[in-house]
Amino acid sequence: MYGSASTHDLPTTAATGLENEDPILLAEFEARIARGEKIEPNDWMPALYRKQLIRMIEQHAHSEIIGSLPEGTWITRAPGFRRKMAQMAKVQDEVGHAQLLYSAAETLGKTREQMLTDLINGKSKYSNVFNYPTPTWADSNVISWLIDAGAIVNQLANAKGSYGPYCRALDRICAEEAFHLKYGHDAVVHMATGTPIQRQMMQAALNRWWPAIMTFFGPSDKMSVHTEILMRWKVKMASNDECRNQFLDMYVPKIWEIGLTLPDPNLRKNEETGQWEFTEPDWEDFKRVINGDGPCNAERIAVRRAAEENGAWVRRALRTPKTQYVRPLA
Amino acid sequence: MIQSHDPRMNRLGLSDAPAAAVAKEALDQFGTYEVFHQKKEGAPYVYVGPVHAPEADVAFLFAKEQYSRRFACTGLWVVPTAAITVTAYVGDQESAYDTLPLVTSHKEPAPDASSPGTSAPAAERTVVEAGEAGETDYDIFHLKKRGKAHQHVGQVRASSPGHALQVAKAAFGEQRPVVNVWAARSADFLRSDAEDRDIWATTPEKKYRDAIAYKVQDRIEKFKAENS
Repeated sequence: MYGSASTHDLPTTAATGLENEDPILLAEFEARIARGEKIEPNDWMPALYRKQLIRMIEQHAHSEIIGSLPEGTWITRAPGFRRKMAQMAKVQDEVGHAQLLYSAAETLGKTREQMLTDLINGKSKYSNVFNYPTPTWADSNVISWLIDAGAIVNQLANAKGSYGPYCRALDRICAEEAFHLKYGHDAVVHMATGTPIQRQMMQAALNRWWPAIMTFFGPSDKMSVHTEILMRWKVKMASNDECRNQFLDMYVPKIWEIGLTLPDPNLRKNEETGQWEFTEPDWEDFKRVINGDGPCNAERIAVRRAAEENGAWVRRALRTPKTQYVRPLA
Repeated sequence: MIQSHDPRMNRLGLSDAPAAAVAKEALDQFGTYEVFHQKKEGAPYVYVGPVHAPEADVAFLFAKEQYSRRFACTGLWVVPTAAITVTAYVGDQESAYDTLPLVTSHKEPAPDASSPGTSAPAAERTVVEAGEAGETDYDIFHLKKRGKAHQHVGQVRASSPGHALQVAKAAFGEQRPVVNVWAARSADFLRSDAEDRDIWATTPEKKYRDAIAYKVQDRIEKFKAENS
């Protein structure tokens, strides 16, 4: 549950390619979605729909894999046996989510080999928050609670999307999130209501992570193209701003109730509009980090790449020459 | 060298020089198997998703890890993706059986198997007659609604995948809606054994994996009471 619905490298041109699609097939496709029916892999679909879904599901899968690294770091150093076990169970869930998501993307025609190749060559994006480090146990707790919470907001929305295999994967994923969210909340509350030093540590981690959390849902949709068409096709189910507002609505009160503060003097809910007001995140910095220049980009990719390379001989030994590649069915 | 907060990463001694582009070879991630699970004894098997694996035994192992780790499960089947024949997908109110060619007497064209690697080779296309020699069992799965999962409806005896779909139409065609049908030779499945049912035993002592084990609200209330 690390996925953020906003893909971070949306096409920058307004070209949809729709003028090249068969108008009758396109009308049938849109009518099916409008009726509330899901699209299955063998159905006709516009090239833009396929491309955008591959990008979105693939980035979600990468985010699960890469997102497990900053938390995985803390398994051996988690305070106490029970927390080590719980942290391990959570990380295992996240890696499992990546498997489900890679398969869902694969039904659209991009092989897992191609997706992993793009990841380890730094060509694919993943949720930008994982380009930041987890220097303390409290930082790991912030991910477990608040990054997961943000991802759940997205995933619950996306589970109502139009692509069948993605919905099936998200249903399974969301079912596992309940534990993650409670586990993360419990860990944060434990620190925040603990000794003064624990409390300070938690507050410092929250201060470090807040700017990244505010960028988690991506820039305001006004800045991205195709939003309208992707929402009509139920690829995107809620705007980035809506997701961010929902997240703030649900979690800021929970942060405040345990006596923690947030490092944004402008953060407040406008009771008239129902919208949260906040200091606009630094999107230039966001862009710089997501394009490779963050504190952990190199480490994340290098670690993933080393794992791929170290396991290559096992996979080569297991490969059976008769195998023919077939796209998974659903 | 890459400097990490994690001492284990530092021990890897990873270079921070830009790495040369690498490309994974085809089938580095193996072929795929489709997985069906049973939620409780006596319930029908339901599709849960694919796994990548070099052979059926490993597929079963991965499937158990991926699909039964977090949910109740009493049985698991895996079958190579390529072994499944797929009909056309129809709308949520229709029947995929209606897209099968009408069988009058002899040569029956294969169903619209638009999914890759799943159409029956021409040589296997067959005449629909009961009790023919060379017949074998096929497992049949229905998708009742787009976005949901295929569910096992039963077995039929047939001489080819196309034949199996025709027999299935006679046996299960009254059920509606049927958005899509899968047919696969029963012999191609690797199935968990009833004798091994203790592999599905859960570990109730692992409470830390369940949301219910975290009584966070108690602690919050206590904190609020002490600080009010």
